Amino acid sequence: MNVLRAWIEERLGLRAVAAFLEKKEVPRHKHTIFYYTGSSILLFLGIQIVTGVLLAFYYQPTLAEANASVARIVTEMPLGWLLRSVHSWSATFMIAIVFVHLLGIAFTKAYRKPREATWITGVLLLAASLAFGFTGYLLPWDELSLAATKVGTNLPKAIPVVGAWLTGVMRAGEDVTGDTLSRFFIFHVSVLPLAVIALLGVHLFLVQRHGMSVPLEEERKGAKGPVIPFWPNFAYREAGVWLILLGLLVTIAVFAAPGLGPQADLMAPAPEGIKPEWYFLFLFQTLKLFPARILGLNGEIVAVLIMMAGMGLFAFLPFIDNRPAERKGKVIAGLVWAGLAYAMGMSIWSLL
Amino acid sequence: MNERRRLVSVLTVLALVPFLLAGILEARNQDAPKAPGEQAAVKAPEQETAAVPRPPKERMAVYVLLAWVWLSIMVLFWLLRLRVREADRVFQMGLRRTAGKTPEGQGH
Amino acid sequence: MKLLYSLFSRRAFLNSLIGGWLAALGAAFISPLLKYIVPPTREPDQVSVPLAEVQDLAAGSVQGFAWGNKPGLLKKAEDGSFIAFVGVCTHLDCNVSFVAEKRRFYCACHEGWYDENGINVAGPPPAPLRRLAVSVEGDALIVKKQG
Repeated sequence: MNVLRAWIEERLGLRAVAAFLEKKEVPRHKHTIFYYTGSSILLFLGIQIVTGVLLAFYYQPTLAEANASVARIVTEMPLGWLLRSVHSWSATFMIAIVFVHLLGIAFTKAYRKPREATWITGVLLLAASLAFGFTGYLLPWDELSLAATKVGTNLPKAIPVVGAWLTGVMRAGEDVTGDTLSRFFIFHVSVLPLAVIALLGVHLFLVQRHGMSVPLEEERKGAKGPVIPFWPNFAYREAGVWLILLGLLVTIAVFAAPGLGPQADLMAPAPEGIKPEWYFLFLFQTLKLFPARILGLNGEIVAVLIMMAGMGLFAFLPFIDNRPAERKGKVIAGLVWAGLAYAMGMSIWSLL
Repeated sequence: MNERRRLVSVLTVLALVPFLLAGILEARNQDAPKAPGEQAAVKAPEQETAAVPRPPKERMAVYVLLAWVWLSIMVLFWLLRLRVREADRVFQMGLRRTAGKTPEGQGH
Repeated sequence: MKLLYSLFSRRAFLNSLIGGWLAALGAAFISPLLKYIVPPTREPDQVSVPLAEVQDLAAGSVQGFAWGNKPGLLKKAEDGSFIAFVGVCTHLDCNVSFVAEKRRFYCACHEGWYDENGINVAGPPPAPLRRLAVSVEGDALIVKKQG
C-alpha cells in the first residue's frame, strides 16, 4: 500500500494539494451556511452529467424521434422514468442552490475586491446554467416545450440591430424547426458543458486562490475570527449536507416524476397554460405585464431593454458597489433585496 | 476621472438611441392596419404520457432502494457527526498538524 | 501518549465504517444505472410471414425475414416445406448470405461456410446456424424458437 502511494506521489506530486487542503480554513460565523452552497452545486452538476449521459444513450434529437425516444426512455427502459426524473429534479435543485449561492454572495458582499473576477465567472456560470435549463426544456419536444422555446427565442428579436440575427442563430433560421432541436441538443450536451468546465475551472481556482471571503461585519470586528479547518472538519460536514440533499432529490424524483406531453406539432396552435421553467417565471410575468405601447415605444423592447440593463448592472455589481462599507453600499444592498422581492413576487403571481 | 465618467455616460446615452429608434419603428409597424386575423381555436391538450407505467416489481425495487438510501443517510449522518466532533476536538486540542495521519511504527 | 493512540485508532475505525457504508450506498445508486445501460432486448416469441410472400419461392432458394433485430432466413426445401435459420454466423456474429449456385450459406467476414441445412462445413464457424421452427397456420408461416 505504501509502495503504491509512493509510486503515485512520485508521478503526480499530490502532496502539494494535500498540504493546501490541510492549511485551508473556513471562517466560522453566522453566515457560514453559505459556504456549503458551492459544493452542493457541484454535487448536482455531477448528477446532471451522469444522468445526462445516460439519457443521451437512448435520446434521439430529431423531429420525428425526439418525443418518441423520450417516451421510450420513460416507459420501456428499466428505471428510465426515474433517471429522467432525477435529471429534471436535479436541474431544479441545482438552479435553486445556484440562486442561494448567488444571494449569499450578494448579501455578504463577497464579491468585493479582490474577488471581482470570481463574481464575473460566477455570473457567466449562472448564464450557462440557465441556458442549460432553456435548451434542455425543448429536448422532449412536446407541446409545452415548443411553445416555451418559441417565446424564449423570440425575445432577442426586440434587441435592435443584432436582435433578429440572434434569434436566427438560436432557432437556426426564422422558425423553430428540427434544426432548432439539433442545435439545442448540441448546445445542451456539448457546447455548454465545455463552457461550464472551463468557467468552473477558473471559478474554483480563484476561490481557492483568494480563500473564503468573510462578510463585512465580521471583517470589521478586526482580529481573525474563529475558523473550521477544511480537512477534515468542514469536508465531513459538507458530506452530511450532500447526503441529505441526495436523499431529498431521490425521494422527490420517485414521487414526482415529470410526465411527457404529446409530440409537438409545428402547425398546431399554442396549448393553454404554457409556462417556462420556474426560474424564468418572473421574466415571463414581467413580459405579460408590459403594455403593447410605452410612450410610443414597443412595450416588448422596453421590457427587454430593462431586463438587459438589469443583467448588465448585476454582472458588474462588484465594480458598481466599489465602496461596500459606506452609504452607497447599503443602498445597493437595499436594491438587491428589492430585486429579490420583485423576482419572488412576480414568480408567485404568475403561479396564481 | 470626470472626463472618463462623462465619456461613459455619453456613450451609454448613444447606445440607447438605436433602442429608441427600433422601438418607435416597431411600434409604427405594428400599428399599421392589418387583415383581421381570426382567433385560432384552442386545442385541448392530448393525452400525456404518464411517467409511471412501472411494473409492480420495479416499483417495489424503487421503494426498497429509497428505504435503503434513507437508512444509509441516517447511519452515515450519525457516523459523520461522530467524526466531525472528534475532528473538532482534535482541532481544539491544537493537534491539527497531525490530522489525517495515523501514527505508524512500534507499539501500535 | 497512550490516549492519543487510542484516539487515532478510533478515528481509523470510524473512517473505514463511513467509507464502507458510503460504498454500499454508492452500489445502491449504481446498480439501477447498470440495469438501465443494458435494456432488455427480448427475442421475439414468434414471427409470422404471410404465406403469399413465400409461395412463389422456387424449391431450394432462400428468402429473408426479420427475426427481431436479426436477419432470419427462410429456405424452401425440395418437398415444398420450409426450414428457417437465424442468419447470423456462429463464429463472430456477422450476417450470412445464401450462395444459390453452391447451395451453401456463406459468411464473408472470415470465409465461413454452412451447407444448405445450416451445418458448418468449412472455415472458422464452430457450430451450425441456429434453426427455428416453422409451421403453417392459416395463411401465414409462423416461425418460432425451436424447442
